[in-house]
Amino acid sequence: MFKKLLAMGIALTMGVSMMTGCSVVSDGSSSNAKETSSEAENTADAAEDTDEAKADTAGQKIALFMTHMSNEFTVTLSSAVEAEVKARGYDYSVYDAGQDAATQADQIEQAITLGVNGIIIEPVSVDGIVPSVKAAKEAGVKVVIVNQRISEPEAADCYVGADAATTGAKLMEEVMKDINSEGNIALLLGPMGSDGQIGRSAGFDQVLAENPNVEVVFQDTAEWQTEPALTIVENWLNAGKEIKAIVAQNDGMAVGAAKAVADAQKTGEIKVYGVDATSEGLQGVLDGNLQGTISQGTEDQGKLSADACADLLEGKEVQAETIVDNIYYTADNAQEALDALGK
Amino acid sequence: MKTKAKSKINFKEFGIFIVFFALIIILMIISPNAFAQPRNLINIVKQASINGILSCGMMFVIIAGGIDLSAGSTIALAGVMAAFCAQNPEGNIFLPLIAAVLAGAAVGAVNGIGVAYLNLPPFIITLATMTGVRGLALILSGGSPVYGLNKPFEHMTSFFLFGKIPLLAVYFILIVLISGFILTKTVFGRRVYAIGGSETTAKVSGINVKRYKLIVYTICGIMSGIAGLLVASRTVQGSPTAGEGYEMDAIAAVVIGGISMSGGAGKWYGTIIGALLLAVIGNGLDILGVSSNYQKIIKGVIIAVAVYLDLRGKAKQE
Repeated sequence: MFKKLLAMGIALTMGVSMMTGCSVVSDGSSSNAKETSSEAENTADAAEDTDEAKADTAGQKIALFMTHMSNEFTVTLSSAVEAEVKARGYDYSVYDAGQDAATQADQIEQAITLGVNGIIIEPVSVDGIVPSVKAAKEAGVKVVIVNQRISEPEAADCYVGADAATTGAKLMEEVMKDINSEGNIALLLGPMGSDGQIGRSAGFDQVLAENPNVEVVFQDTAEWQTEPALTIVENWLNAGKEIKAIVAQNDGMAVGAAKAVADAQKTGEIKVYGVDATSEGLQGVLDGNLQGTISQGTEDQGKLSADACADLLEGKEVQAETIVDNIYYTADNAQEALDALGK
Repeated sequence: MKTKAKSKINFKEFGIFIVFFALIIILMIISPNAFAQPRNLINIVKQASINGILSCGMMFVIIAGGIDLSAGSTIALAGVMAAFCAQNPEGNIFLPLIAAVLAGAAVGAVNGIGVAYLNLPPFIITLATMTGVRGLALILSGGSPVYGLNKPFEHMTSFFLFGKIPLLAVYFILIVLISGFILTKTVFGRRVYAIGGSETTAKVSGINVKRYKLIVYTICGIMSGIAGLLVASRTVQGSPTAGEGYEMDAIAAVVIGGISMSGGAGKWYGTIIGALLLAVIGNGLDILGVSSNYQKIIKGVIIAVAVYLDLRGKAKQE
């Protein structure tokens, strides 16, 4: 009996914590239509309140539409947007599409119906989002695209983002410097066919084409994940080929690769690189496990896209395209970036 | 006639062994200097370990006629919880171990209660916990990996016994042997088979089916929790996105090992072969530089063949 009670107790706590968990996620970021509408109603209520509260920007609403909210990149980006939107005096809400293009389209439609003034979209699908963007424009809503360029950029008001190919090329140039443009390297790629993978690989290839003495002896996807990257690199290291550098397309995979290299006692001998400059990646650089990581200007993307949206609503001129700068971090400058992330 | 029937059954049971050893021999011939090296063969056992432990839990559930889709998400939750408990530089491995096991047991108990007492289809309740638990892991960790973990925690998986045998493989072997013992030598194990074979018969013969199901799902949750602990230790971080899709590899290992998806049948050691086979494919093809896209196709074909053999074996028996 006691066992049963105990089990029930654990189950209840789990159940409750899961439910609260879900509702926190759906706080402005639900992936299900019902929750979206109730959430949207909440923001509508909030908007009515602020309408009465007067002020010129108050009552104007900016909504952010994220592909998902499940890694440091998306969390940092959305936090930066939130901070800037609020700093400029607008109401803010955020929607999480859970990587689903149809959900994102529904969420945008909802928001337009509820009278949002400006929207910032991190598109799930660069093609599929275009009709939603056009619908928003027709409804008189200002549209800013962030992080990934859509297939018809002129449909939106402006684009703010990093350029994945430039990021890839800049990182690969740093790698070439470190290995004197010769020897074997291995590449860990994002999910094949994802925009990040295609762009970053294009940048890699562009630099590699100019360096004929460098051979890519292994390349495979580890789906952005750490443990699969660790396993793949363990296998590569057992293949008996000399490798000078392993270049990963995100920090999560780079950390996994660095662990495999460390386990084989080859830290330093095989240099490991990542992209994104997440706190974990920067810490890896400081610990000497990673040689370097390149930022996609995540904070800047968030801040500048929020600024662009606010500027548009205030009738100011906005550039059609704003490309944020990449910053390459090594042991020399990683500490500052890590401090800035507040970790 | 008799001997012929016997050889068919033998092929059904040992077919996968033949495939497994044939694959190893082929890879040894293609890659004598890399794949066939003792160091690499040990590496394969190490890489099979986490999926192997996950598969042991899955095996209990599948033999009892169920399925657990939440195993991968549980890895993330348990890993994040364990990582939080391993951030203290002076800490030991017990707190993380307890945290991971409790997290796993809790998820498992929710699944078990859903299936046994609320009569929810296993596919549905574990799909629900798969989604919910992933969300919980993301919230607890703030969406980014929990890192900066202490040395004892890391050494739990990076240490080699006598300088040769990876501890990970030791955990795997221990858990497989314990699982095998429970399933074949205890009343509990025999009743799990009975429930998977026919729930009605099990009920009629006086087995408390509901309680057994709760325990079986909790066992699977605990195994997933342990797998999560080991993933966190291996990667020296508790990642909320870890373990995505791992439940599918575990189900694949169990099915390849000849355990019937409809429950009630299959040998425990099949799971070892299943997990090792998947690791051999991954390792061998990585070493040969074959893209993981091809690996997926090969895995798919093997799963289909394994299930086909299972069904054919059953048809023959009837």
